Amino acid sequence: MSNLTLDHVVKRYSSVTVVKDVSLAIDEGEFVSLLGPSGCGKTTILRMVAGLIDPSGGTIRIGDRDVTRLPPNKRNIGLVFQSYALFPHLTVHENVAFGLRRKGQSGAALDARVGEALAMVRLAGYGERYPRQLSGGQQQRVAMARAIAPRPNVLLFDEPLSNLDAKLRDEMQIELKRLQRELGITTLFVTHDQAEALSLSDRVCVMQDGVIQQFAEPETIYRRPATAFVASFIGKPNRLAGTIRGGRVALDEQLELRSESDLSGDGRPVEVFIRQEAISLAASGDESVNRIAGTVALRSFSGPQVKYVVRIGSDQELVVEAPSSGPAGDLAPGQPVMLEVHPQDVLVLSRETAP
Amino acid sequence: MNDQRPTLPVTTIALLVVVFLQIPVIVVVLASFSETSYLTIPPQGLTLKWFEAVLTDSAYLGAIRNSLVLAIGATTISMVLGVAASYALFRKMLPGSEALTSLLMSPLIIPSVVIGVALLQYFTLVGLRGGFVVLLLAHVVITVPYIVRSALASLSGIDLSVEEAARCLGADGFTAFRLVTLPLIKPGLVAGALFSFVTSMENVPVTIFLAGPRQTTLPILIFTSVEMGVDPSVAAVSTLLIIATVLVLFFAERWTGFHRFV
Ligand SMILES: Nc1ncnc2c1ncn2[C@@H]1O[C@H](COP(=O)(O)OP(=O)(O)OP(=O)(O)O)[C@@H](O)[C@H]1O
Ligand SMILES: [Mg+2]
Repeated sequence: MSNLTLDHVVKRYSSVTVVKDVSLAIDEGEFVSLLGPSGCGKTTILRMVAGLIDPSGGTIRIGDRDVTRLPPNKRNIGLVFQSYALFPHLTVHENVAFGLRRKGQSGAALDARVGEALAMVRLAGYGERYPRQLSGGQQQRVAMARAIAPRPNVLLFDEPLSNLDAKLRDEMQIELKRLQRELGITTLFVTHDQAEALSLSDRVCVMQDGVIQQFAEPETIYRRPATAFVASFIGKPNRLAGTIRGGRVALDEQLELRSESDLSGDGRPVEVFIRQEAISLAASGDESVNRIAGTVALRSFSGPQVKYVVRIGSDQELVVEAPSSGPAGDLAPGQPVMLEVHPQDVLVLSRETAP
Repeated sequence: MNDQRPTLPVTTIALLVVVFLQIPVIVVVLASFSETSYLTIPPQGLTLKWFEAVLTDSAYLGAIRNSLVLAIGATTISMVLGVAASYALFRKMLPGSEALTSLLMSPLIIPSVVIGVALLQYFTLVGLRGGFVVLLLAHVVITVPYIVRSALASLSGIDLSVEEAARCLGADGFTAFRLVTLPLIKPGLVAGALFSFVTSMENVPVTIFLAGPRQTTLPILIFTSVEMGVDPSVAAVSTLLIIATVLVLFFAERWTGFHRFV
């Protein structure tokens, strides 16, 4: 068990730079997710940590050892692939034993360690099977047992759950988290599923185009996104154009909102993010909240939740989510409503040049 | 695969084609049992004397030994070189991999006679002539494409991340190849080795230019004895070759199921 440090890591392929000066310090035993859209460089970073590709610049340290130029077999890492990458010609037992054998273990000690690892992923008794005789979820667990059996310093996962169906994925998420907690192994987990990243991780690293946008606890990522990209990538918030005007953010001539974000620089064009679930349709009587008058334009029912599209100001729209069982559960289109948004839920971020 | 059964005409045509293709084999096998001292069909009488003649003839025995040594030697060398080359080409470890692949495969499309003449000129130029080593090198040239072809096909059929998984689990590059990649491509390599072996065993056009008097191989001997007049001993030795080939293919298929890679 060790901490993992990336220091100004760069990866270039001929003319394109796919990982641009990434620095990241992961504490011992910490679970960190790399989250970002397809092609942002997550796998590339993971494979550089594993030693499967060479960085073009920067250093990677595991514990206090500089591993930047070491081959994968000298790094003592465990990697779980999206495709599982089990050895099809070996039994489950031999798959799990592979790493232990490379460390010179054999006999009863080896069998005990294999049994222990298989028990941890709830596959005790499956040792004599071949990978092709297992379901996808079971194969995934063998891949995990194989990675943890040699007790690596760092565990690396590349979208390990994306080939599983939704229900199994939920189960495996919990399983995986439990396992990581029990073992206390420093973990770097690549995913493009934000719910997965937020629920599993101690900290989440959001990336875009090979650059770290924000590295923080899940709550912070969700409530205090550092950039417009993070705000729009996490959840499906309302995204409105605004201007800073006298310590408030103006959505148009009449409509001004209070916010706890940075509102300095009069006349500065900004983007305003308001989460659907942060907007209330019930009058609270609280004077400190923002009040926005609007008209219901559309109602869409989805079981526990109802979504409304509400027209506000001159020509803007807000999507509002409300519990379908509450008093705001059945507003009809055309009905005027008063929306309430707490200033801390009005996120004001600098407008990005390229959206 | 679909589960439609072929219609009767299709089945009939298929059977006729198979029979037509097998006629020479059938003729040779039948002729080898004839009591006459010339080849004839149907065979007259039934005798094993031509087999006895072949198996006691020191010229034939020597030629069989030469052919086996050559085929086994060439296949072994081709296997090592071909697998190593295919691996490097497949992993694109070298610039110009495509061009190199075509180059290695070129003996498959260049007429053998041309290769024979070219090698003869080349070996004469560098001062090597008529030895076993020369013949062995020539056979490596003509057999290596079969190994490369099946090795590349097998490699493209496996998930390369298994080798990466092995390396992350503490295996160095060669160990990962030996313990994971090699077992996975083995059926393909067996198929390639068989092709290589058979190609070397039956080669006349290249061998005839390069074999010295002490390196006469079985096909060369058959070729020259046919020129001097055919007797059923030629048919007998051919029959022996056919039986050996069938047995080898049968057991190789049983052990490795290599037909998927041919
Ligand atoms: N060998 C390569 N040569 C050139 N470009 C590459 C190579 N490998 C990856 N890239 C590029 O690097 C970028 C990042 O790739 P990477 O696989 O790290 O993305 P990712 O974030 O893992 O995406 P995904 O979520 O789709 O897996 C992509 O734009 C990809 O096209
Ligand atoms: Mg990826």
